[in-house]
Amino acid sequence: MVEGLLHPLNIFIVGLGGGFLIPLFYRLGKSWTAAAFIVALAAMTLISGYALFVLLNGAAPTEILTGGAKPPYAINLRMGLAESFFAFSVNLVALFGVAYVARERYGTMLLYLLLVMGIQGMVMTRDLFNLFVFLEIVSIATYGLLGLRDAHAALSATFKFLMATVLASTFFLIGTLLLYATTGILNIDELIAKRASITGPIGFAALIFLLACLLLELKPFPANGWGLDVYETARSDVAAMISGGVSAGVFFALLKLLPLFEDQLELIAALGAMTFVFSNLIGLQQTNAQRLLGYSSIGQMGLLTIAAPLLYRLNADNAMFLVVGGLFINHLFAKVGLFWLAGYVGKERLQDWAVLARRPGAILTFGILIVAISGLPPFPGFWAKWQLVMTLAVGDLYVWIAIVLVGSLLEAAYMFRWFGLALNSPAEADGVSHGQADLFPIFGMALLLVVSGYVAGKLAGLAALWAYMPLAAGLVLYMLARLPSRVQYLIVLVLVTVGGGRLILELSGISFLFAMLLLAGGLVLSIACLARTDRRSGFYPLLAVMLLSLPALPRATTSLEFIFVWELITLSSYFLILQRTEAASHALQYLLFSLAAAFFLLCAFAVLHAQTGSVSLSALRVAGPDSAPVFVLLAIGLLIKAGAIGVHVWLPGAYAESDDDVSALLSAVISKVSIFGLLVGTYVAIRSDVSLNLALVVGWIGMLTTLAGAMLAARQDDLKRMLAYSSMSQLGYIVAAIALMSHLGWVTALYLAANHLLVKGILFLVAAAIILRTGKRSIVELGGLAGVMPVTFTAAAIAIVAMSGLPPLAGFGGKWLLLSAMMEKGWYGPALMTLLATFVGFIYMARFIQAIFLGPRKAAHDALAEAPISLLIPQTLLIAGIFLMSFFPKLLITPLSNAIDPQFASTLVWQGMSLEMIYGYWNPVPVMALAVIASTILFGLFWLLQRSGWWSAIANAEIGGTRSSLYKGLTTVFTVLTPPWAGALWGGLTEATTSSAERIRILYTGNGQTYNLYILYYFIALYAAAGGVRHLWAGVD
Amino acid sequence: MISRIVLTTGLLLVLIGLWGMLTHRNILRIIIGFSLMGTGTHIVIVAIGYVANGTAPIIDRALSVSEATSRAVDPVPSALAVTAIVIGMAVTAVMLAYAIRLYECRKTLSIDAFTESKW
Repeated sequence: MVEGLLHPLNIFIVGLGGGFLIPLFYRLGKSWTAAAFIVALAAMTLISGYALFVLLNGAAPTEILTGGAKPPYAINLRMGLAESFFAFSVNLVALFGVAYVARERYGTMLLYLLLVMGIQGMVMTRDLFNLFVFLEIVSIATYGLLGLRDAHAALSATFKFLMATVLASTFFLIGTLLLYATTGILNIDELIAKRASITGPIGFAALIFLLACLLLELKPFPANGWGLDVYETARSDVAAMISGGVSAGVFFALLKLLPLFEDQLELIAALGAMTFVFSNLIGLQQTNAQRLLGYSSIGQMGLLTIAAPLLYRLNADNAMFLVVGGLFINHLFAKVGLFWLAGYVGKERLQDWAVLARRPGAILTFGILIVAISGLPPFPGFWAKWQLVMTLAVGDLYVWIAIVLVGSLLEAAYMFRWFGLALNSPAEADGVSHGQADLFPIFGMALLLVVSGYVAGKLAGLAALWAYMPLAAGLVLYMLARLPSRVQYLIVLVLVTVGGGRLILELSGISFLFAMLLLAGGLVLSIACLARTDRRSGFYPLLAVMLLSLPALPRATTSLEFIFVWELITLSSYFLILQRTEAASHALQYLLFSLAAAFFLLCAFAVLHAQTGSVSLSALRVAGPDSAPVFVLLAIGLLIKAGAIGVHVWLPGAYAESDDDVSALLSAVISKVSIFGLLVGTYVAIRSDVSLNLALVVGWIGMLTTLAGAMLAARQDDLKRMLAYSSMSQLGYIVAAIALMSHLGWVTALYLAANHLLVKGILFLVAAAIILRTGKRSIVELGGLAGVMPVTFTAAAIAIVAMSGLPPLAGFGGKWLLLSAMMEKGWYGPALMTLLATFVGFIYMARFIQAIFLGPRKAAHDALAEAPISLLIPQTLLIAGIFLMSFFPKLLITPLSNAIDPQFASTLVWQGMSLEMIYGYWNPVPVMALAVIASTILFGLFWLLQRSGWWSAIANAEIGGTRSSLYKGLTTVFTVLTPPWAGALWGGLTEATTSSAERIRILYTGNGQTYNLYILYYFIALYAAAGGVRHLWAGVD
Repeated sequence: MISRIVLTTGLLLVLIGLWGMLTHRNILRIIIGFSLMGTGTHIVIVAIGYVANGTAPIIDRALSVSEATSRAVDPVPSALAVTAIVIGMAVTAVMLAYAIRLYECRKTLSIDAFTESKW
């Protein structure tokens, strides 16, 4: 009985029957109509859901026979796993959409019901002509729904849509007929079985007609202006159903007919690629929300059209479900949610979306949808893309991987720009026109994305629950957002300490040290957040996610876990930067460079997977000599993330413009993530043949970064920008140290990394204190603060000494180790550059102390007070760390050295030198004693010089000037030596991208007749590209 | 022979419809173009199923079971044609309805007047 009620055929009975009954119920009363409508949709959802459930438990697909005859003599339909999955997802979305439709006239409900039923017909039918009929049912229902809006533009757009889809379905009808003429078959299974008999010019033309219709219905570039216009002008819930539902039906039809197009698989993928890349390119230039979503929708269909035929060609049946299913539901839930949100907001222009800014719930949902549509974790699109890239790599299809990633980057660019606008624009008076109830279906989509993301993650192979710990902590904090901010911070502290502790307990070696460093550093620096007590909406949840992701990264054992956590860090830090709304453009830059970096890592892991067949990170160590590409890709990605010279353009903005406490975390802690990645990645290089040359290249890049960073820092008047460039410079040292690929080099790298974390943490907190007290960021406006902020001054002085490499603090040890390691390896050039960079470093560091704390005090600064205790505590803790490292270096170096030893055991180039001998390089007592004496003498000389007045004669040619001419001369030199080539390069690239988008979109003239012509051209091009010209000759013979 | 003539006529009609749809600016004429295309397709369908000297596919005194495969006209295309005609009529009706609404808002039927959304 229950089985009978839940038989898939009932979907059509309910759909059509409901359609007929709704007008009758309308006579009974309005509420009756709505109730019948909802019951019908719920019934369809239940039936398809039950089918999915049964099929997942291993039941055989249900065959639905009609007309009392067996196929091919009668139409049959099938409810298999894929069918039930598509049908259920579409039904579920349609059921949520009821919220917008049930208040309409009964005609609307009727059309909506028919539309949903038609889509399922397209999914389930196994008869070609029946497919045409369902396509027409869907189309006609769509035409009706599109008429809901009376605006002129909407009517014109609908007419364009009408003409185009009628043309496309005529193609389908002709294709079906020609196929019937050649084979006498309409049954799809039969046709696939007898694929070999479809030959000759007619058979070929038949296939191309069918293919043309399906592709055109998916709105391919450039024959898709009509689709865009409808997306732009339709009522948002109707546009949502076209984008999610109708496209799903058409795409499934294509999927089902793919075996027929075996000779055209690559052509289909190429057309998909064209659509994916160009839609997302033009999307960059959009200012209208729904049109932007239209470009994105079309792009997503392009992505599916790339994935399905390629995976089919590779016979990757296992990957097919995750990739196609994942991309499909990701697009369905996210895009439908975004369209509904567009309806809720009711603003056409992107910048007017700022009305969302003061609604935390809506903003969170918007964020989830944007992250999901960009294919980022933890949503299904991420797992699907991961699987897609891995599978394509196994098939050696690297060009396709590049296409997928470039398109994804473009899409992320405009999606996140939009998100930034929603937070950033000046507050507007007029709010959202719709009630809160309209938000619930959108929340539903976000929730579905979360759930399906978790399931897809399991399918992709992320079984570890710990990977979700950061997100879980974020969720807890989000629930508690009403508590006072200090209480929230304490909860963050507790959660991160407990969770982070659990994460690191099971680690050992370098992973343990790094996890410890990142966790402790993050926790200490986060204390500074207490300095602000204002409401920071979303800040604490994000902080929790980020602080917990940091120690989770070293925990990763597979490349999937690594990328997942990596993206969590990227996303959480991006949203943290975005907390300061003025930083929106810098945050976007940061995100895009980080995503590009992550894509390089993804490619590296894909190559590794193709070479070794493993996704385990330990595969890096057993990689063979041909793994040089892996190392190159990893190095490029990690150098981008580290802000190496040339790709450093994102760094100053992100570090300088974010909130002061976030800057400290970014520069001190998050920057170490790429260092950890480099250490992991270098294992590969040791084994591969070209490693030594590549390592030298990386070493030079590191040193150039150091030197350029130092010079740029010296030119800066902005306090935080100076520190940002200083960060870049210091990271260069670490990169160079890793590139040495010797035991000593690695010890140095870790030592320098720890030192930089401590030092830069202090300095950014010093900057935070100064900005908090004076409200000024420009160095020239400050001065003489040592008297009013003595503790801050002391902390800054200690940090500067420790960073500069002056004895007796840790920086000196770091430099000493670095120089020793370089000399040992014979890297005289880089060693020389280290000295040069150290000298340039002295200049900006001296200026930092001199201009801010010493010199004449500005009158306005007299009333200033010392920094708040919440900023001083972390500084004190960090200073304690510096002292510990400086005077008891063995405490750190011994575990470091031990951590490295086992991993190098088999491959180490390092010969014959015992640990004691390393300490010989850096045994603090005698070296330090000497250094202290030497510097005392130098200081004495300097003091004498100054006393005698010679110094000011040298340094201050202009008497009375605040800046010494020596400094001026040097900055001139630095300016000449650091031409803004990188900025020009990236600016030029951006300019070229947007202007090409601007030029390409002129294609879309808005004239429906022109669009018809495009469709005809598209068909002819498809025919020719598939090799149809050959058949024309044959016909002449 | 008959079917060849019918087939050619049908295909010609499709092409004429396509030509008209692409060259005429008036929306009503465009719709006529679409109708012609539709009609042409329907004629092609019928032509495909025709068997020379065949008879109606009803098995009775005029058509024995053994002859059914060789002499009877293929019934499937006729069934398809009927369905296609019904769908075509519905689509034409929708198009005309939109033509009326478009005319009401601009007082013109020129397709060039309806290019609001672009790029």
